[in-house]
Amino acid sequence: MAIHTNLYLLVFLPLVMLAYQLVPRKMRWGVLLAASYALYISFSSFLVLLLMATSFFTWKIALWMDEIGAQCALKQKECTDRKQKSEVKKDFQKKRVKVLRLGVLVLLGILFYVNYYNFVAENVNIFLGVLGAKLPMARVMFPMGISFYTLEAVGYMADVYWERYPAEKHLGKVALFLSFFPQIMEGPIARFPDTADALFSGEPIKMENISEGYLRIIWGLSKKMIVSDRLTLLTNQIFNNHKEYHGSFIIMAAIAYTIQLYMEFSGSIDIVIGSGKMFGVTIPENFNQPFSAQSAAEFWRRWHMSLGNWFKNYLFYPMTVSPLVKNWSKKARKKYGKYWSMVGTSAMALFPVWVATGVWHGAGWKYLFYGMYYFVILLLGVALEPLKEKRYQKLGIDPNAPWLKTLRILKTWVIIFTGELFFNAKTLTIGFEMFFSIFGNFHISSIWKYWPYDLLSEGDVCAIIGGSIIVWIIGFLKEHGWDAREKILHASTPARWSVFLACAFALLLFGAYGTGYQPVDLIYAGF
Amino acid sequence: MEELLEILRDIDDSVDYEKETALIDDHILDSFGIITLIGEIEETFDIEVDAAEMTPENFNSAQAMWKMIQRLQEN
Repeated sequence: MAIHTNLYLLVFLPLVMLAYQLVPRKMRWGVLLAASYALYISFSSFLVLLLMATSFFTWKIALWMDEIGAQCALKQKECTDRKQKSEVKKDFQKKRVKVLRLGVLVLLGILFYVNYYNFVAENVNIFLGVLGAKLPMARVMFPMGISFYTLEAVGYMADVYWERYPAEKHLGKVALFLSFFPQIMEGPIARFPDTADALFSGEPIKMENISEGYLRIIWGLSKKMIVSDRLTLLTNQIFNNHKEYHGSFIIMAAIAYTIQLYMEFSGSIDIVIGSGKMFGVTIPENFNQPFSAQSAAEFWRRWHMSLGNWFKNYLFYPMTVSPLVKNWSKKARKKYGKYWSMVGTSAMALFPVWVATGVWHGAGWKYLFYGMYYFVILLLGVALEPLKEKRYQKLGIDPNAPWLKTLRILKTWVIIFTGELFFNAKTLTIGFEMFFSIFGNFHISSIWKYWPYDLLSEGDVCAIIGGSIIVWIIGFLKEHGWDAREKILHASTPARWSVFLACAFALLLFGAYGTGYQPVDLIYAGF
Repeated sequence: MEELLEILRDIDDSVDYEKETALIDDHILDSFGIITLIGEIEETFDIEVDAAEMTPENFNSAQAMWKMIQRLQEN
């Protein structure tokens, strides 16, 4: 039961809301947890036990670290001077870090086994084959959402270790934070303080929250059903049969897939955020007009923000201040100067982040390439920044001139489209085949000549273009301080309801249903 | 404090660091700016900034950074 289906939206969600409202406030978190596990069982049946075990383990590890912290505080009271206190703290921190390592290794170990074991075994076997040996392949069932809830659990344990907040004593609160049903399939990856209190507080369902949630859900569904589901037909056809198409179609497929992915993923997140809002829970945003970005680095601050923030907080910054990187950085400053020290430090901190970002999406060389592609682009961005500034000064160009901003946005689009071409190609080799066919076999006129009308009629193309333009205008206005959603929610009741009904009609009228259309699975639910 | 402001101005001189209170939240200081900043403040103030300190609250304003530096110098 995916979150974009009628079963979820018209039956499951309203029933959970009803049950939530009917039970006493103190028990409402229990309704949300039961609903979360019920939805999880509908995907992954008995693997719900793994989710439960992860929750219990995470809760216990955090409490264990807190317990050691409390013992440390007691011991410190016996100390007479600051130096002694500091020594005691160091000793206890060593114990706490061992517990943290245990927690992280177990959770990441499970994630690795489920996602990557077969990929690693397959590649290792190529070498072992020479020696006549072979690693056995595993029959692994994929637990839905494991890539999302594992990161949430690791983030929670790390925050408790860093004493950013105390360990939660109530097991149910941790379990609900990790399994809340709208988020379990596609995120966003939340931090414990983002949602846990609101999930647990049992706030009554309010009309204003229903309005806001409904609007968000209908907006997300529209992005998915009017634009993304139509584009799926086209991109599947071209990506699955790329040799039959000219380079112009390959470029179009890369652009179409990027739009499809954005509409689908951001649309699903709208449904997630809208569902949370119904219960008064504010789930963190995951997108912020990513196509307004003027650089690849800015794009990643606007696209899948929760994943980017997670890697920044739990990998990039810890790497930046790790003894290895700091020692290197200090030596490099003396030897090579500030600039090269900064570039080298950035490379050392960025590399693991982009390996992890690549393989987080799945096991495959194309995902690793996707990560490395952005690693190189971001590192070049850092290295060339001072040169760029000098060149602007030399040529007397205003770096904030609108034409330059537009050029930067277009350049970023090319980077994004190219990245998504490799991301969605079946394999890395096919990705390269498709990429190089752009240069050797490009005929713009072939788009009109060989357009697959059986897949997308003129009407479909109009719906895709019209839908994309509306999404772009609303994003553009928000970027410039005019939030359409806020305006609608604060409009008079008749005006608000007119918009609600118009949105529902637009979805019914222009959504992709009927013959030729299959319900399209959520892309990120597969990661 | 003046030394810290100089370090910050060296990274980006277009920001009014005495007034700005959302350096991280508004992405005025990006991750690469942070890398430079950490190296500079560790050397200048003879402190060790560890991962636990890497929160927006510690870097959102020059004042917050200064408080963190003083706290780390005391430890």
